[in-house]
Amino acid sequence: MKRAPARAAMLGLVAGLLLLVWSFPVLWGLITSLKTERDVLAYPPVVVFSPTLANYRDVLFGATTILPNLVSSLIVAVSTTAVTMLLAIPAAYALARLDLPAKRATGFYVLATQMLPPVGLVIPYFLMLRGLGWLDTYHGMVLLYITAALPFAIWLMVSYFEEIPREMEEAALLDRAGRLRALWHVILPQARGGIAVTVVFVFLNAWNEFLFAVVLAGNRVRPVTVAMFNFISVEQTQWARLAAAAIVAMAPVIILGLLAQKHIVKGLTVGAVKGGGRR
Amino acid sequence: MQRSHLAAEERRFALALFLPAFVVLVLATTFPLVYLVWNSFLRLDLTMPWVSGFAGGDNYARMLADARFWHSLQLTAIYTGATVVLQVLVGLGLALLVMQIPKGQGVLRVAAILPIVLAPVVVGLFWRTLVLAPDFGVADFVTRSLGLGSHNWLGDPQLALASVIAIHTWQWTPFAFLVILASLSALPPDIYEAARIDRASAWQRFRYITLPLIRPAIVVVVILRMMTALSAFAAIFAATGGGPGTATEILNLYAYRASFAELNIGYGSALAVVLLALTMATAALLFSVRKSA
Repeated sequence: MKRAPARAAMLGLVAGLLLLVWSFPVLWGLITSLKTERDVLAYPPVVVFSPTLANYRDVLFGATTILPNLVSSLIVAVSTTAVTMLLAIPAAYALARLDLPAKRATGFYVLATQMLPPVGLVIPYFLMLRGLGWLDTYHGMVLLYITAALPFAIWLMVSYFEEIPREMEEAALLDRAGRLRALWHVILPQARGGIAVTVVFVFLNAWNEFLFAVVLAGNRVRPVTVAMFNFISVEQTQWARLAAAAIVAMAPVIILGLLAQKHIVKGLTVGAVKGGGRR
Repeated sequence: MQRSHLAAEERRFALALFLPAFVVLVLATTFPLVYLVWNSFLRLDLTMPWVSGFAGGDNYARMLADARFWHSLQLTAIYTGATVVLQVLVGLGLALLVMQIPKGQGVLRVAAILPIVLAPVVVGLFWRTLVLAPDFGVADFVTRSLGLGSHNWLGDPQLALASVIAIHTWQWTPFAFLVILASLSALPPDIYEAARIDRASAWQRFRYITLPLIRPAIVVVVILRMMTALSAFAAIFAATGGGPGTATEILNLYAYRASFAELNIGYGSALAVVLLALTMATAALLFSVRKSA
């Protein structure tokens, strides 16, 4: 009985420490982004300072603006998401519910494509896109992004389609509605939540992608993850501006992540849970 | 007759739905991989395009004698092994601790999302500048305050490897934590009753009741964390670029640097083929372990 308060205090301490450690870079980045470059370099690190929004003004509208890069990221991420979903939804439905020939093998093939090391893809893509003159273009970049997004989206959607009760579509089929109409009018509305979560994940991954972006990027198409390096050079690091740019670039994914919070675990474990098991 | 006709029709419908994605996957992933393997047999050096041509197994022969390759392979093993073990142990420990907290688990679950959703390249940059930079970084502030002195966290070869392992572990432990916590929360509380009556110790309860029940979750965590660690790139690239020298140059980084910094695409392709084989073998091994588990 006597040990209870000590135990509670210890657990509280652990929880507090965890909160601090996990949110630290975002919090510290936020604080740094509000400092002047001089305050950043103060030792010991200062916590009390007069905050400034100058860094945000600089990275959004100044000479070092990342606005064009944000636009690049947005175009690439949205296009990747749209094309991926268009292909993944019907494919996932066929895998989850229909009598697809060689289902086991095709399911395994999709899973295998999800496990490919990205560096193994980016090297041949660099040569192919260079040959086509597609380096530094949106369609070239989206094509490469799809290689990572599509297998993932198919598997995630399969897991959502499997949750829909079979009776729903059987009822629709009895109405002679036809397969396609049953899919459109009965299944898709049921899978709305799963589609939303998949869209969030595909967008998030595309927004955060770096290796593909850094190899294919040029002056026209330069996603924000690559533009981050503008603030670092051998001579000088612009700490506060880098922090401001990082906060701006990460704001969309942090918001999306918090919104989709409950589904994160499922989204991240898809494939391993299903793959190689039943299918 | 009617039945088989319907079945054939359904199969056609299924194919029509699946085929577009399948064709794109074959053209966008499998075909480039075949091209990658083909390139690995070429002499393809963008700094000397005039000597390009078929080279047979030269790239692979060169690899066998390349100390830098063996070093990168060793680093890949250390990096993957260390990050996965750390994530599982720390994640499991934290999940068990947090299960004891009666209120406020929700806040921790939300906070755990933060590292996961950040772009690894941003995480690498954050750590490089704000945490691990000598003199200005928080890590230095802490060690100096504790009287342990200032360290060149990313400039000293051994510290650099430990640092990139720490960065990866920081970013992905919340994932192990969340999956294991979800698995623990799903366990029915009454399974412990009998054990308590039998006066089983806390360790015995964990070892013989909890652990076997959450084992599937742990296996899933190991599989996924292993795959992520094997394809890790952006955080290391941002934090150290593979350096100092080749101190943090895992196979991924080496294949990238050989192809795009040294512009020897033939050799870079061969390195990537080895990585591909390694990844696929690991995946096959893990899935067969999981099936027998």
